[in-house]
Amino acid sequence: MKPIIEVKGYSFVYENTTKKVLDNVSFVINEGDFVGIIGRNRSGKSTLCESLVGILPFVMGGSWEGEIIVDGKSLNDTKGAGATDVIGIVFQDAESQFTQETVEDEISFAMCNFGYSRELMRERILYASEACGLRDMLDRSPFKLSGGQQQRLAIACILALQPRVIVLDESTSQLDPVGRDEVFNLITKLHAAGSTVIMVDHNIEKIAEYVNKVLVLYEGKVVEFDETHKVFQNKEKLNAHNVRIPQITDAALQLKDQLEITEAPIRMEEAKLVFDRYKREVGIK
Amino acid sequence: MKECIIQTQDLVHTYPTGVTALKGVNLSIYRNDKISIIGQNGSGKTTIVRHFNGLLKPTSGKVLLYGTDTTQQKVGEMSRKVGYVFQNPSHQMFCTTVKDELEAAPKNFGFTAQETKDAVEEVVELMYIKDVLNVHPLTLDYTTKKIVTIASVLTFKPDVLILDEPTGGLDEAGRVMLTNIIEMMHRNGHTVIMISHDMDYVAENSDRIIVMCEGEIIDDGVPEDIFLNAPVLQRAQLEPPQITQLDLYLENGNQSRAILSVKDFVDKYKQNIN
Repeated sequence: MKPIIEVKGYSFVYENTTKKVLDNVSFVINEGDFVGIIGRNRSGKSTLCESLVGILPFVMGGSWEGEIIVDGKSLNDTKGAGATDVIGIVFQDAESQFTQETVEDEISFAMCNFGYSRELMRERILYASEACGLRDMLDRSPFKLSGGQQQRLAIACILALQPRVIVLDESTSQLDPVGRDEVFNLITKLHAAGSTVIMVDHNIEKIAEYVNKVLVLYEGKVVEFDETHKVFQNKEKLNAHNVRIPQITDAALQLKDQLEITEAPIRMEEAKLVFDRYKREVGIK
Repeated sequence: MKECIIQTQDLVHTYPTGVTALKGVNLSIYRNDKISIIGQNGSGKTTIVRHFNGLLKPTSGKVLLYGTDTTQQKVGEMSRKVGYVFQNPSHQMFCTTVKDELEAAPKNFGFTAQETKDAVEEVVELMYIKDVLNVHPLTLDYTTKKIVTIASVLTFKPDVLILDEPTGGLDEAGRVMLTNIIEMMHRNGHTVIMISHDMDYVAENSDRIIVMCEGEIIDDGVPEDIFLNAPVLQRAQLEPPQITQLDLYLENGNQSRAILSVKDFVDKYKQNIN
């Protein structure tokens, strides 16, 4: 698989501070990966997301070491330029990034700034609004949408630019369960259609259910980066880094001997199979 | 018999936009209740709690706070008794430093300089925010803002603490801290009312759950019963915690009480296995 993002010995310090918010971080994300980034608050997750698109340090300042290579180009050489051609980022608070009076104008805003032709913009507005389920809302005000709709609009805005990588920084934390599932379902569809997805989220059950790889940050360092199944087997290590594991995984690990399993399930369908088999073979009263 | 401290009687609220967010709600909240209000966005959760300290007034019906109609009391006085932490922390911050932010409420409520200082020191200690005291609150990251807003209400220890979506954006450490605060308030006799979409958290941190849907209360009971009531949850578009769902599946819905935590589940199945 072809690497799309390579982070090499990257450290970052915010302006007027001395603490390394990211400390010698190295990892590779391949095209087509669906990566969940988890870790306690202030572990460097948002700083990492903003560094991947070059907002840090090239727009907002700060000092850094190491390099980030996006689609073969070092951001150090381009001064961050070009990263947003490849990567689109959606922030936690979608509303704060809206500036336009209608959903349609909001979707076309970035395209206008990039000088897209009118025909191309029309085509992309239809594509992005269709993909995000906003076709019937093009003339609505972005500020009058529900939380889930607003997040989907924020995703539509970057989708219009057809980035190869989508970064979502806690996009679901303010949403109700329906809104949250809307976003996860949309992202899963985009991933299935070929997008690379990087998602920061505190909802461990949803992360376990959807992503292929998990990266755990703790105090600016990568303490784990592996396939989702493997990462969530190590309860002690994750707990020590202030991250919990899915409830069903936790329960299965505690009943591991009785269940006679070598690996605990991390997804609901797997858990049902494991416990069903146990029920059949041993019988639960 | 527990003392009823908040009561709504046929409470209807219609916003100026014409949307009727509450359609005749009758609810009694008792001293020392530890309540969660759950439901979809737009179900009326925030609208109802904003009546408890008079931020909103009924379109019809009544809200009684300690037996007196909220329309007959001043919002300032009611706010002293009913502390309200907004969902969006930026909506309740207006000072230029965290320290000023924390001192604002006690000063407004007439605490002496010493009382204010003590109150602020206590919450700063409790919530580990000493290192941000001189920072402009609006420059903080979302989670720290959230923690500061909770701290700013805790300074005056309101009889009733209302938390609107307190776990949004909180990590495990933040959730544990929040649990400790809720427990402390509960132990000291306060009433805690939480609005939340976070079903895992609600299941483990409430004595009573109120389910709202389209401006009405459609269920009210203990978590062990609420999470068994599939039709109601479906109507409110809510999902029980993951571990509860697994147990419901395994038992085919035949259990008498819902499992609420991993510990509950493990205890139950260990027992069955042995």
